[in-house]
Amino acid sequence: MATRVEFPFKLTALRGLVLPLALLTWWEFESHRDAAHTFTFVPLESIAASFFDTLRSGDLISNWWASVVRTLTGFLVGAGLGITLGALMIFSRWIDRLINPIYHAIRQVPLLGWIPLISLWFGNGEYSKLFVVALASFYPTVLNTYEGLRNIDEKYISVAQVLKLTRRQFLWHVTFPNALPGIYAGLMQATAFAWLSSIGSEFFFNPGPGLGTMMMNGQSNFHMEIVMVTVVVISLTGFAMNTLLFRLSRRSLRWRGTR
Amino acid sequence: MNTTLEAPIQINASPSLPAPGALSIRSLSKEYQIDGRPLNVLSDINLDIAPGEFVSIVGRSGCGKSTLLRLIVGLDTDYGGSIALDGERIKSTSLDRGIVFQEHSLLPWLTVEQNVAFALFNHPLPEAEKKRRVAALIDLVNLKGFEKAWPRQLSGGMAQRAAIARALVNEPKVLLLDEPLGALDALTRIYLQNELQRIWIRHRSTMIMVTHDVEEAVYLSDRVVVMDAKPGRIKRTLKVPLPHPRDRASHILQDIKEEVLSDLTDKPSEE
Repeated sequence: MATRVEFPFKLTALRGLVLPLALLTWWEFESHRDAAHTFTFVPLESIAASFFDTLRSGDLISNWWASVVRTLTGFLVGAGLGITLGALMIFSRWIDRLINPIYHAIRQVPLLGWIPLISLWFGNGEYSKLFVVALASFYPTVLNTYEGLRNIDEKYISVAQVLKLTRRQFLWHVTFPNALPGIYAGLMQATAFAWLSSIGSEFFFNPGPGLGTMMMNGQSNFHMEIVMVTVVVISLTGFAMNTLLFRLSRRSLRWRGTR
Repeated sequence: MNTTLEAPIQINASPSLPAPGALSIRSLSKEYQIDGRPLNVLSDINLDIAPGEFVSIVGRSGCGKSTLLRLIVGLDTDYGGSIALDGERIKSTSLDRGIVFQEHSLLPWLTVEQNVAFALFNHPLPEAEKKRRVAALIDLVNLKGFEKAWPRQLSGGMAQRAAIARALVNEPKVLLLDEPLGALDALTRIYLQNELQRIWIRHRSTMIMVTHDVEEAVYLSDRVVVMDAKPGRIKRTLKVPLPHPRDRASHILQDIKEEVLSDLTDKPSEE
């Protein structure tokens, strides 16, 4: 039905590469000006060499994997609890009144503010990092699930009444699909926060495997090319996660069309 | 596209057509509490609608005509007096009474076909029969080929036709239409008025339509009920003694339209 004129080559897809390429060119130019610049702006070829070195030694993979697994675990726990709590707050007035104020009060405290307490409770190791990631994924999912389930157009309620839907049918076939865009928006935010906080948490607790630790080690050993490798890998991984979830959301929300 | 649509009109030709219902409204009244004070929205409404009759309700905004439909469909049961369908008092919504709202209110996450089938969700028919009915209704409203389309892909008129199919698929005894064409452009309106007439001739369920458009009301209805506001009450009922399908240009229709219009405008609006 919807016909669009499509170019044989997706020129528009290449447009996004213009700015990165310009930046890289400038970067490479800066890095070759003198020795000081070579240290601060690591030449691209050194970064590439370091990338393959750390890849071959297995350092990069193991650290990347540690960060990814922590992100996924924390995300699943945090987002799972977030969706559950958001839904419970909708379906039980009692729970809503009980939880809502404290949720919004606690949300005002930045994640970093919890770190002293978290290390006190969970120690300085992996559990504390996981907790931070879970918390970071939890906040946006609660809020978006809650709003998504609550904002339901009056006309759909009338339709459900006229069609004699049971409460269960209404929840499953109207309330839930109606909330799905909101839930996805929450999950999108949650993945971004989870990945950031997974890397970030490594800076605040005892060193363990992870890209954050790898970056810190690179910095303290004056291996700026390793720092750059982790920067690039962190950025690309985050981008990939976002894209993956975005694709998934677009697939399950295809009734809304592309926007 | 579909030859059966062009076939001569046969009333009650199909064995699966629903038995239309008779609606009886007796001294109906309805109050809203506005700012702690009662506001009389409907007062002493008496109306009998015969099985298979097409009745339109016209009146300026605020005369309670949409409220009246909400009461008949059973979305609001807090009223005085009585509304009965085939002698049975209306206590809640029922699959016997379908409604088409001004906004199509299709569920955006279901395709056209799924939306129509959704109305049969709690109907005790076997699956195969449900499928057959959905296909027949989509055919009836001329949406063949759009079964798998999402509501957002439909024009306003197509979406409203899908909503009509959804309302009719249960084979309700009464179909209520709450300004069903009110949000459409003039050409689509005329087209859908003809469609509505064709569907009604084929389907012959009792239909009650609320509209702002006097011409539309006169063109489609056996009877036009003119309502007055503050409190909402029936001012007059006019018969339209012409067989269906009708000729839009008919002088009789024009005369009745003038009469209804003068009825609606003879008292200066209080608003």
